[in-house]
Amino acid sequence: MDPQLTSIIVPTEEITQIEECLSRLVEDTGSDYALLLDKSGQVISAKGDGDRQDITALGALIAGVFASSREVAKLLRERDFRASFQQGVRENIFIALIEEQWILCIIFNKGTHIGLVKVLTKKATDELASVLERVRQQHKARDEVLGSSFRTSMEDTIDLLFRD
Amino acid sequence: MALINVARREIHCKIVYYGPGMCGKTSNLQWIHGQVPAQAKGDLLSIATETERTLFFDFLPIDLGKVRGFQTRFHLYTVPGQVLYERTRVAVLNGADGVVFVADSQLEKLQENLNSLKELAQNLKNQNKKITSFPIVLQYNKRDIPPQYEEVTLTDGTRKRRQTSGALAVDVLDKYLNGANWSAFRGGCAARQGVFETLRAISKAVISQL
Ligand SMILES: Nc1nc2c(ncn2[C@@H]2O[C@H](COP(=O)(O)OP(=O)(O)OP(=O)(O)O)[C@@H](O)[C@H]2O)c(=O)[nH]1
Ligand SMILES: [Mg+2]
Repeated sequence: MDPQLTSIIVPTEEITQIEECLSRLVEDTGSDYALLLDKSGQVISAKGDGDRQDITALGALIAGVFASSREVAKLLRERDFRASFQQGVRENIFIALIEEQWILCIIFNKGTHIGLVKVLTKKATDELASVLERVRQQHKARDEVLGSSFRTSMEDTIDLLFRD
Repeated sequence: MALINVARREIHCKIVYYGPGMCGKTSNLQWIHGQVPAQAKGDLLSIATETERTLFFDFLPIDLGKVRGFQTRFHLYTVPGQVLYERTRVAVLNGADGVVFVADSQLEKLQENLNSLKELAQNLKNQNKKITSFPIVLQYNKRDIPPQYEEVTLTDGTRKRRQTSGALAVDVLDKYLNGANWSAFRGGCAARQGVFETLRAISKAVISQL
């Protein structure tokens, strides 16, 4: 099967490690929020203050913005466009790419220095890159994770929900 | 690429509506948003110009609930169809698990459909996806616009009826746009026929590739 078509399966141990990494990043930088996104915009993990209701839309937007800024980079023939920084009045956002697959995003306010965010993000992206590497290495069959009847159950759900 | 989070028992899939400007991609999402029960959908997020043309994307998260213990979510996106936004389409297509190609059935839009489909094939290729095995379904939209004809006299004097505008016959569209033999559905504004049919087909195609 085309490797591009198979899903990315993130096992429990790796999720735990990702969560620890994000929590540490939030704590050490004094940031408000850290998010790990798949390049498709899906939220893999989020850590920080309070319950954000808008996290799904936030993930879609940040991934979109990041993907389009990379297209800008290509047009400028810029090879290494792996991080971006957006400065707001209250909140700042720092975004870094992990191996073309994941996006790490840190939301922080005036109380945190961007320099610290950059340094600690670099450390975190290295760590997350090795987690990603392990996720890619493992070849669990889909049926092992989802169960063999998943597909038929899914088709029933689709028929039920998307019905004229 | 679909994401399966084993710890949180979640599955995420991304479906992108692609096609030329004004073909009806945003309308598809608006209709879906209007029909799906409240507990299964999030807000429809549209980043559009003042004239309601998509500028970046539309985004609609759908929650299918628990299936065999897995919380399953589909994220639906549209690309901006205008030629100008080619690079934005590349960005939105990034990481898609399946594509609905919405074609505008009108005669005068045939070339735009062809250009858009060709661009999609190239963009998928650039993402290392094989267009032959990647989940794609077609929707021939605007079936409700009636064809107009004119009488012409050929050089040999015979008279012939020729279509000047309106929706092309489905077999004509098939011939030009569906060489790959994808599942194709008819859409049309009036009763929004075909919208759910299309969504069911692409959802199942994506699930079968998980
Ligand atoms: N007659 C008819 N009109 C339609 C149909 N679907 C959409 N429209 C109209 O076509 C226009 C464009 O529709 P949109 O859904 O905004 O098109 P789009 O593909 O999102 O366009 P872009 O965002 O520019 O790429 C709107 O005025 C719609 O009301 C259809 O099936 N039949
Ligand atoms: Mg649109």
